Formats: sequence, C-alpha cells, structure tokens
Amino acid sequence: MLVDVVVTLVKIGVLLGLVLGVGAYLTWLERKLAGHIQARLGPNVVGPFGLLQPIADGIKLLTKESIIPRGADVPVYYLAVVLALAPAVLLFAVIPFGPGFELFGREIKPLIADVNIALLLVFAMGSLLVYGTIFSGWASNSKYAFIGSLRKAAVIIAYEVVLGFTVLGVVLLAGTLSTVGIVQAQVERGVWFVFYQPVAFILYLFCMLAESGRVPFDIQEAEAELVTGYHVEYGGMRFGAFPLAEWYLNVMALSAIAVVLFFGGWSGPNILGPLSPYFWFLAKMFGLVFFVLWLHWTLPRFQARDVTEIAWKIMLPLALANLVLTAVFLYLFGGE
Amino acid sequence: MEGYGAFLLFVLVAVAVGLAHAVLNDILGPKKKDPLEDYPYECGVPLYDPEARGTFKQGYYLLGLLLILFDIEAAYLFPWAVVFKEIGLFGLIEAVLFIFILTLGFVYAWAKGALRWQI
Repeated sequence: MLVDVVVTLVKIGVLLGLVLGVGAYLTWLERKLAGHIQARLGPNVVGPFGLLQPIADGIKLLTKESIIPRGADVPVYYLAVVLALAPAVLLFAVIPFGPGFELFGREIKPLIADVNIALLLVFAMGSLLVYGTIFSGWASNSKYAFIGSLRKAAVIIAYEVVLGFTVLGVVLLAGTLSTVGIVQAQVERGVWFVFYQPVAFILYLFCMLAESGRVPFDIQEAEAELVTGYHVEYGGMRFGAFPLAEWYLNVMALSAIAVVLFFGGWSGPNILGPLSPYFWFLAKMFGLVFFVLWLHWTLPRFQARDVTEIAWKIMLPLALANLVLTAVFLYLFGGE
Repeated sequence: MEGYGAFLLFVLVAVAVGLAHAVLNDILGPKKKDPLEDYPYECGVPLYDPEARGTFKQGYYLLGLLLILFDIEAAYLFPWAVVFKEIGLFGLIEAVLFIFILTLGFVYAWAKGALRWQI
C-alpha cells in the first residue's frame, strides 16, 4: 500500500516536472517558430539560441507585484487561476505514454490513473476549464475580460458538444472508454483509427484548436480588440498560468488524446528497443503540437459569429452523421 | 492505487500547483502600492461605468441552454457506444431513434434562430 502511494507520487512528480517544464519551453519554441515564420530570429539574447528565455521569463513573472483590480471579486479572482490550471494538468492523468513494464518485480504503467472511464474524465476536465475562464472574466471587473470570457465560454461549450459526438465514433470501434484499451484495440487490429474515422479526426482537430484558443478559433482573445481577453487583468505568475494552461498544457494534452484515439498511441516499429513506444508516442504528440503552432502563425482568425455557427451548423450535423454511419457500418460489417 | 486513488492524489497535487501559481506573487513580489495601480483599464480615461459586470447578450444564454441539451445527450450515448457490439440490432435501432429525436430538437432550435449569432 505504502509502496503504491510512493510509486504514484513518483509518477506524479515525473509527469508534473515534464509537463510544466515542456510547457514552459514550448513558449520558447513558439516564439522561435513564430520568428522564423515571420522572417525574424525570435529570442536569441538570453543564453545560446535564447534557450534560457523561459527561465528568465519565469523569474520575472514570479517577482512581479501582486495587483488585484479595484472592484474585483477577490476569492473568485484567486480561484480562477486554480480552476484554469488544475484541470489542464489533470488531463494528463489518463494519458498512457507506453505499455506497462516490469521494475523490481512490480508492474508499472506509465500513466497515473488507469481507469475504465478515462475518456469521460477527459471530458469532465475539459468542461471544468470553462469555469476558470468565466470566473476570471467575472472577477476581474474589466469589460475586456468580461467580453472575452463570455466569448470563450460560448466557443468552448459549442466545441465541447462536437468533441463528445466525434469521440463516440472511436469509442464504438474500440468498445471501451479506457485510453489503454483504445490503444490496445488499435495495436491488435494493426491499423490506426484515423483510417476508419477520417471525418472524426478532422472534426477533432478543429475542436482541439477551438478548445485551446488557437488560431483560427481565437476570437475570444483577439489581441487587437480585446487585448487577449479574459486574463487581461491578471499579472505576474497568475497571468503566466492562463496561457500556460490554455495554449500549452491544453494543446499538449489534447494532442496526446488525439494520438491515443486516432494514431495508435505508442504503436510503431521497434527502433529504440524498450524506449521505442515512448519515442513514437512523443513523436506523434509533438508532431500535432507543432502543427497547431504552425497554424497559429499562418492563418487569420474567424469572426465570433463564424466560430459559433461553424460549430453548431456544420460540425455538429457532420459529427452526428458520422456517429450514425459508424454505428450502421459496425453493425453490418462487424467492425473489420 | 493505479485507479481512482491515484487520480484523487493527482487532483490534490494539481490544486496545490494551481494555488502556488495564484499566491506566489503575493509572497515574492514587491509590496509598495501605488494609488492608481489597481484602477481598471479602459482606454486610459476615467471609467464611465465602474461596474463591468453588467448585462450581456442573451445569445450566450441560449447557447448555454443548448449545451446542456446536447452535452447530456452525448453523455447518454457514451455507455451505449461501449456496449454496442454486445447489444447488436436492438442497440442500433434504439440509438438511431434517440439521435433522431435529438436531431428534431436541433432542427427546431435552428429553425427558431437560436443558433444564429445575435448582435
């Protein structure tokens, strides 16, 4: 029992360190990438290739003065930070980075919570993220933040619905909600679900962009009109928490879920011995993350009305049709 | 411990991480206050209306209602999707009927203009 707790704590520590560290370094990657896309150099002063930039930014953010806007709802103002960051971190609890392995005679699975309702947990946490947004906009007592939070809530709830119906197609094929089970279903068939569910994958990709506030669905934080929207009145590390959670942790977590659902998780040719499942999982995941960053610095953004109307009028009917057709095909051909 | 217990532990750790992000600036940052530093920003002029939490477009409210409708329907379909292979034709017909009724509600909302972005 005690050993189990220790093992879990070690896993949580490793995961948190990796996730927050990589999340911080994604800021460097994004700025470097944006620089090269726009024919600039990006950060290059702090350390070689600007590699120490995230550390400098972190220290700067940590030592900023704590400013709470006049008329703010103080408890909710603090709560919003927790509610923005905690669900984004918790999304990683059910992501299997590789198959289980033996260590000192114990079977260790490289995921924190191997539960059979893993996908439901993902949706629960995804929905909880709305509260962080709404609370921050409400508590700040700023019109920019309020409008931004309402827009973001409208976008998230619209795409949350589409996401639910999209994922159901994969659940039908795999017959389980467990992330490990879905990966194993793909490994056993020897084919990735993206080939069975191409429409679902494309819809998922759009939902992923919308949920994490990425271009082209980033109207809620349109810098030019809302000065980044719902977290405009936050300063210091509290300000750091929102983009970290939304732009980096969320994108990483949803990419990892996409890899689990559509790209066969850790499956791939054995090229690095025991490390090769991890290599494949991370390669696929960061491939998707890179794709999202690339889109961010390439495309213009939709208007608010387009964002919601695309979700409700185009993507939701498509997702429903995809679900019904998948069920019918699965019944007729037995899933092969 | 591999299941819900581990998840509970992770919830505690994640909330602690969130709290750390929320309060560290109160501890580490400078304490000297400026009389106007907490004044809400609005184009650099004195506030016309000091309360920002006023009325908002009712379109958001309508979209929120629709979310409740469709998200709960999706939640009902999750268990069906898991056991679909075992219940066969019965499950297929039931689910198609269910989705059909759901689509009727959707078409009604669309025809009433609830999906239109209202200015």
